Amino acid sequence: MARVYNWQIGREMSYWYPDSRPRRQFAAVFDINKCIACQTCTLACKTTWTSGKGQESMLWNNVETKPYGFYPLAWDVKLLDQLGGQAWQDGRYEGRTLFEAAPAGERVLGWRPEEQDYAYPNVGEDDCSAPVDGGAHFQGMHEAWFFYLARICNHCTYPACLSSCPRGSIYKRPEDGIVLLDQGRCRGYQECVKACPYKKVFYNPMTGTSEKCIACFPKMEQEIQPQCFVNCIGKIRLAGWLSTPDKASPDNPLDYLVHIRKVALPLFPQFGLEPNVYYIPPVHVPLPYLRQLFGPGADEAVRIYREAPGDPDLSGLMALFGCTESLIPRWRRDGKEVVGLSADRREVIRVPAREPVRVLPAYDRNLGVYRTNIP
Amino acid sequence: MTDNGYSRRRFLGYAAATGLGAFVASATDAWALDAPENPLALYPDRDWERAYRDLWRSDSQFTFLCAPNDTHNCILNAYVRDGVVTRIGPTMAYGQATDLHGNRASHRWDPRICQKGLALTRRFYGTRRVRHPMVRAGFKKWVDAGFPRGADGRPPAEYFNRARDEWVRVTHEEAAACVAAALVNIAETYTGEDGAARLRAQGYEEEVIAATGGAGVQTLKFRGGMPLLGMTRVFGLYRMANSMALLDAKLRGLGPDEAVGGRGFDNYSWHTDLPPGHPMVTGQQTVDFDLHAAEQADILVVWGMNWITTKMPDAHWLTEARLQGTRVVVIACEYSATACKADDVVVVRPGTTPALALGLAHVLFKEKLYDADYVRRWTDLPVLVRTDTLAYLRAEEVFGPGQADLKNATRVVRPGETTPPPAAQNEQLIPEALRREWGDFVWWDRRRGAPRPLTRDQVGAGSGVEDPLLEGAVEVRLHDGSTVRCRPVFDLVQEYASHFDPATVEGLTWAPASAVQSLARDMAARPGRTLFAVGMGPNQFFNNDNKDRAIFLLAALTGNVGRISGNVGSYAGNYRVALFNGLPHYINENPFDLELDPARPARPRQYWKPESAHYYNHEDHPLRMGQTLLTGASHMPAPTKSMWFANANSILGNVKWHYNTVVNMLPRIEMIAVQEWWWSTSCEWADVVFAVDSWAELKHPDMCCSVTNPFLTVFPRTPLPRVFDTRGDIEVLALVGRALAQRTGDERFARAWTFVDAERTDVYLQRILDHSSNAKGYRFAEMEEKARRGVPVLMMHRTYPKSVGYEQVAESRPWYTKTGRLEFYREESEFIDAGENLPVHREPVDSTFYEPNVIVSAPHEALRPRGPADYGVDPADQSNEVRQARNVVKTWAELKDSPHPLAKDGYRYVFHTPKYRHGAHTLPVDTDVIAVLFGPFGDIYRHDRRMPYASEGYMDINPADAREIGVEDGDYVWIDSDPSDRPFRGWQKNARDYQFSRLLARARYYPGTPRGVTRMWFNMYGATPGSVEGQAARRDGLAKSPRTGYQAMFRSGSHQSATRGWLKPTWMTDSLVRKGLIGQGIGKGFLPDVHCPTGAPREAIVKITRAEPGGIGAQGLWRPAALGIRPRYESEAMKRYLAGGFVAGGGPQKGRS
Repeated sequence: MARVYNWQIGREMSYWYPDSRPRRQFAAVFDINKCIACQTCTLACKTTWTSGKGQESMLWNNVETKPYGFYPLAWDVKLLDQLGGQAWQDGRYEGRTLFEAAPAGERVLGWRPEEQDYAYPNVGEDDCSAPVDGGAHFQGMHEAWFFYLARICNHCTYPACLSSCPRGSIYKRPEDGIVLLDQGRCRGYQECVKACPYKKVFYNPMTGTSEKCIACFPKMEQEIQPQCFVNCIGKIRLAGWLSTPDKASPDNPLDYLVHIRKVALPLFPQFGLEPNVYYIPPVHVPLPYLRQLFGPGADEAVRIYREAPGDPDLSGLMALFGCTESLIPRWRRDGKEVVGLSADRREVIRVPAREPVRVLPAYDRNLGVYRTNIP
Repeated sequence: MTDNGYSRRRFLGYAAATGLGAFVASATDAWALDAPENPLALYPDRDWERAYRDLWRSDSQFTFLCAPNDTHNCILNAYVRDGVVTRIGPTMAYGQATDLHGNRASHRWDPRICQKGLALTRRFYGTRRVRHPMVRAGFKKWVDAGFPRGADGRPPAEYFNRARDEWVRVTHEEAAACVAAALVNIAETYTGEDGAARLRAQGYEEEVIAATGGAGVQTLKFRGGMPLLGMTRVFGLYRMANSMALLDAKLRGLGPDEAVGGRGFDNYSWHTDLPPGHPMVTGQQTVDFDLHAAEQADILVVWGMNWITTKMPDAHWLTEARLQGTRVVVIACEYSATACKADDVVVVRPGTTPALALGLAHVLFKEKLYDADYVRRWTDLPVLVRTDTLAYLRAEEVFGPGQADLKNATRVVRPGETTPPPAAQNEQLIPEALRREWGDFVWWDRRRGAPRPLTRDQVGAGSGVEDPLLEGAVEVRLHDGSTVRCRPVFDLVQEYASHFDPATVEGLTWAPASAVQSLARDMAARPGRTLFAVGMGPNQFFNNDNKDRAIFLLAALTGNVGRISGNVGSYAGNYRVALFNGLPHYINENPFDLELDPARPARPRQYWKPESAHYYNHEDHPLRMGQTLLTGASHMPAPTKSMWFANANSILGNVKWHYNTVVNMLPRIEMIAVQEWWWSTSCEWADVVFAVDSWAELKHPDMCCSVTNPFLTVFPRTPLPRVFDTRGDIEVLALVGRALAQRTGDERFARAWTFVDAERTDVYLQRILDHSSNAKGYRFAEMEEKARRGVPVLMMHRTYPKSVGYEQVAESRPWYTKTGRLEFYREESEFIDAGENLPVHREPVDSTFYEPNVIVSAPHEALRPRGPADYGVDPADQSNEVRQARNVVKTWAELKDSPHPLAKDGYRYVFHTPKYRHGAHTLPVDTDVIAVLFGPFGDIYRHDRRMPYASEGYMDINPADAREIGVEDGDYVWIDSDPSDRPFRGWQKNARDYQFSRLLARARYYPGTPRGVTRMWFNMYGATPGSVEGQAARRDGLAKSPRTGYQAMFRSGSHQSATRGWLKPTWMTDSLVRKGLIGQGIGKGFLPDVHCPTGAPREAIVKITRAEPGGIGAQGLWRPAALGIRPRYESEAMKRYLAGGFVAGGGPQKGRS
């Protein structure tokens, strides 16, 4: 066991391997307030990567409704229960991480789902947290609620899967931080399936190996965002490179949202993996639940997002999500437009924060035709 | 059907070879037995990564257009490998779309795609593709035997064992010859006096027989399903209907001036997408706005619309509008998907929208918060109504003979006068007789204390109505010296709305009184800044026209009709064919006078007649109350003897009251021909199935556009070879045309499709473009070239975003009504008789706990409906047929003590059937990767062999309701609706058909639905005789037909077991004034997709009975419930989780580094 620093929990923690951060880290922001659970991301991934035999029930990307949705069944509630109470104090996690809570002789606290736990992958869809027995009026924070949680591999800084593999078949790419499972070397022990708290490593009974999300590295190598990002019609996702907090730069859109505005938060930071998908929490959900999922930053993130209409930078940047398939590692606002830039600050995409209104002439003299909204 | 074709085998082989199995085989040998030192830092051999790079690779790509009836019409990229489409993606090129002036859409429109489009890879090569033309064996025998018939003209039943018969593979030419022969024979059989006698012998009503006018071709019904989605290949069915005039001319020996064509079924109204109150208020089809207008409003009221599930690629406009400060208010009968994107959520009782809108209006009236200026300028609220006749007071009655000369964008057309084609029309065209009938109107000037005339020119800036009497009555002295008591519409409406005080509204609609008050005040505080996006939910109730009229009232009182930032929109279906109003140059090209020079325009002449399919759905009966016919003469259906349709499962397979239709209606129909590429429920019940190209294989380009986005999109020709033995939809039409020519000797049947044979359908498309107001100037060839790059063009609508009513408000043009104003009063006798001359609230016709279809009102001077006794009907009779025209008035206090007549028998649950995110209608819900995500019961391995498929239909029920009747989460239940006519009339004596008709489905505990309200999604494929037979016979238990491979998603029945079609008198008047379907001409009475029945398929009250436990093999609890993670079954850990109890010490975070 080594000691490593996890900025998400504000302290050092123990980890199986010594710290070695990649040269740059693949990361993402998902705006839950925009997710519509259409599952286009799920299908984009599935039709690209997992349509083979043995992969039928495997969803590298899934979308589940919280609080009653789980894929696999009960994945997080089960682990939270195993881990027990989890306490934060002034932004520092005082409880045990999964590495620290590992039973004797094991590297990570975890559990391995049964085959049947992968059935009903959309269980809980649209089930809300409390019964709505009759008429109701909710304003702001909803008394009964649900939200959609889109999930991929978090390409963690301290991956539990990687640390748990007895063969060392899982590695983190130094050039982009993407975590891969070597299909040639894996022997299907499934320690990683057990260790990953997010249950994003899957065993394939046909090949006898485990598999996981590859962050579409063949696309990322061409500076194109992954399939589940490009196909996201809710336009909730932005992929990029995240700096550590000390190196955050406001013209890096991910740094801006994660480190500077602190509006995007990791999922279950208390597990200690330093996951690299950051969620903008839903603004209509009670804070205790959000803190449980996204840590103590939830209150502030909700407040900032609610104030976005008076904040042209934040609302402008959110309008840029999903407008291009290219990676846009830099951005800037240009009046009422927002611009996405390449690493060398070339303009890649420009969109208006609000689509303009136009009125055509009623009569086109050249063509001799009337244009009308009631033809 | 035989199993996989060659390409499908290749596809499957490819998918397996590129799956992970391939990786293991191809991966390099493990490099060492020793684990690496630190895989965070260094991994020795990464050569295996090549495998994924290779999986990503494609050989080529092409674009195609995916356009189910969801209004989005997305051009998609298809990626090809080894000749097979292996994956699909967005083009990301909508941001390059421009209009003819160079204006551009932004890339905020990208990406446009969805999961259903992505799943098409498994559809194009799927097992249920219609691989070659098929004719039902019995039908073929009937044709081959020379169409034997009995004395009454009926074919012998032995030939018509539909859905249980065998199928015969034929060539396209053989299928076309069959259809042509049957069309000719059926038309011949029912032509002339002999034909009428046969129809009489078969029991058709005289009015229905008379509607044929002696022309047998009138019994031939054609339908291109939602034809805006394929201007040539789908709309071509109506061109075919037009060419039936050639057949009529031959059969009756008539010339081109006397012959008539076939009949064409409606679409927008048939799908219950038409909001029938829109023409009642505005005189034209529908008011709506492009969805990106959302961010222009201060308040966006999403009313009975599940925007984020049914408008998926445009959902971001809603969520992004919130980021720009728009407040989103969701009104729904549950905590819906869209509710989770709302600032405000109001949960209401289903079908009570009219009362809610009236309640909101009441607050505005009572607190005098209404936009008085808007009321004076754009509404009929100041217009006087005579309290004796209940008609508008006419200016001639007060000021003497004479009518104003109408000048405001209006032209009165004398008989015989020619009018310009639609694209050259800038004025409303009013036939002189109508103009005379309307007269002018009167308002009371408070300043002068005198009546003043009002013409329909006087709207907006030119209103001249400055200080009108709005409240109270006046005695008006008439020109003949008499006086009459009059009240302004405002006064009548205000009095009516006063019944809907907040407390009453809370009781009736369940919307908290405080919500009603605060919402009304908030809208009033920002006049003209609220957009109402009204969905299909409230539209599928019987009171849908009441709903529209009440919502428009609310909108007008707050200045929210016809503004970019404030308007009403109705969202269901992609309907506005007028967006291509050059359409007649294609569908109505005169079959006697065809233009074969591609450079010249066609000479349109319409021979075909439109008809509402709701009469077919009503067993070809119009509506009667006692002896009184309540279907207007202009609406009268003809008998349905042949039905041929394309691009739709909704006219038969997923028809409302499906099981009644297939059991009781289909035996009257002598031919059902279907063009399909996927073996649907409609194919199961058909006689002839033409195998047509999928979108990926189109060899004839086509085009479409949308009512929710500004794009004109082309279906480009694709390079993908046909996977099976298919033809284009339009080629099928041409083949039948040729067969008709051969059979009749009239070559014009074939020549009507000359440009299909020449592979020049672009000629037809260019003709449409050249004659369309908002598309003229575009060259089809250029648009197709852009489409190949994934780029659409922008429609040349007047505004971006399009907002209907913009010209009325911004340029003070009249609406298409008698008064030129938004009309909240309806003076026609049909409306007065119905008690709907005012915008009233009627209880739902079935989906209510109370007495159905009651008009809720305190006694009101202007409400004098014809009650049951006036029609000679027992006032206590509430049977379904009678109920439709039962005009009974009760106060809310009286109504709440009058239960639904079936309540005593346990029918206590409203059952509604909305559409959902996982299907565009039924596409592609039966594709495995979509099915497993459709709802909570998806299981790709089908651990429970009772499951009809990898997922299945289910009913959502409030957990407390379920507990009360002993139903556990995940149990199978029987769901029964009114036994008098559902699932079909006569089920009690027909066990054979009842077996596949009765609805059996899973129940899900669904906390978001109120007590007494149940829901089942509309999208799932229903059971057929074949699916039930298959499930019993197959070892795997799949509900799959052994003969056709048809796959049901129910063990028996479907959501349509509980629904039926309903006919409402106010949908069927001869008097309602409305603009034509295209162009600026105004007429009255029936108009397809504008003024005709809409059916009310969301109405049903059901009884629920537990059938089987939900656990695998009917043992115990369904597993998620047993695990303690379901509502009402929560384990201790789950309870702690829901409360956020695993984490302590949250709160604002400090000291993060």
